[in-house]
Amino acid sequence: MQAIDIMWVFLGGGIGSVLRWGVGLAVEARIRMRFRLGTYLVNVTGAFVIAYLSTAFMIDWHHRYGDMMSSFVLTGILGGYTTFSSMQLDTVQMAEDGRHGLALVYIVSSIGSGLLAVAAGVALASI
Amino acid sequence: MVSKIIIVFLGGGLGAIVREFFMLLIPQTRSDFPLDIFAANVIASFILGLTFGNRRLNAVSDEFLLLVGTGVMGGMSTFSSFVYGAYSEMTSPGHMAVGALYVISSAVVGYLLTLLGITAAKWRHREA
Repeated sequence: MQAIDIMWVFLGGGIGSVLRWGVGLAVEARIRMRFRLGTYLVNVTGAFVIAYLSTAFMIDWHHRYGDMMSSFVLTGILGGYTTFSSMQLDTVQMAEDGRHGLALVYIVSSIGSGLLAVAAGVALASI
Repeated sequence: MVSKIIIVFLGGGLGAIVREFFMLLIPQTRSDFPLDIFAANVIASFILGLTFGNRRLNAVSDEFLLLVGTGVMGGMSTFSSFVYGAYSEMTSPGHMAVGALYVISSAVVGYLLTLLGITAAKWRHREA
């Protein structure tokens, strides 16, 4: 772990976050619905990519430090691109609007689809 | 538009560094529960709730929410490492329960802390 890794994490996190924000704006501009599709899509696609790359490059998820793939791409870009906090805020807002069923569907389907996307990424990289 | 991109970029980069420090400084637990990502995610959820709550009460600007909420907390929290870690735990022998606990506790604690953040913003505003 060196200073250069911190710089890679910063650059990747910045790029990933701008991508997430851009995808969110683009999706929200086209599709207006209570289910926050932008956050959902960002998170599920990011989950697929991290699983695919981690498996393809044989990175043990306990030791994701010290090389550019881990710092820049996994921790940086994919960590910045996907978001846990916005998913939670989306869920709280749906519940505040009285849409409790939708809130539950949103958080359960986000996590469920995320896990399935990971399984698909691992499977595809293992072929 | 360009200044907003720079705001999200700087915030997101900074948030990712904070998460990296959580990963480096929080020791691995004996049960293999991913405490580092759990802590980064639920703390970011609280601060996003707090920031969003303050924005809704006009106590902070749109740009502040973009910097701290979309940028720093979006960059600090991660969904990809969360579900990938959960999958890795759940598919490794003997760790199914830890993986399930990780998923459920992240979802529940994250939700409650987001709500607490929004509520704390209201309290703060009422006292002021």
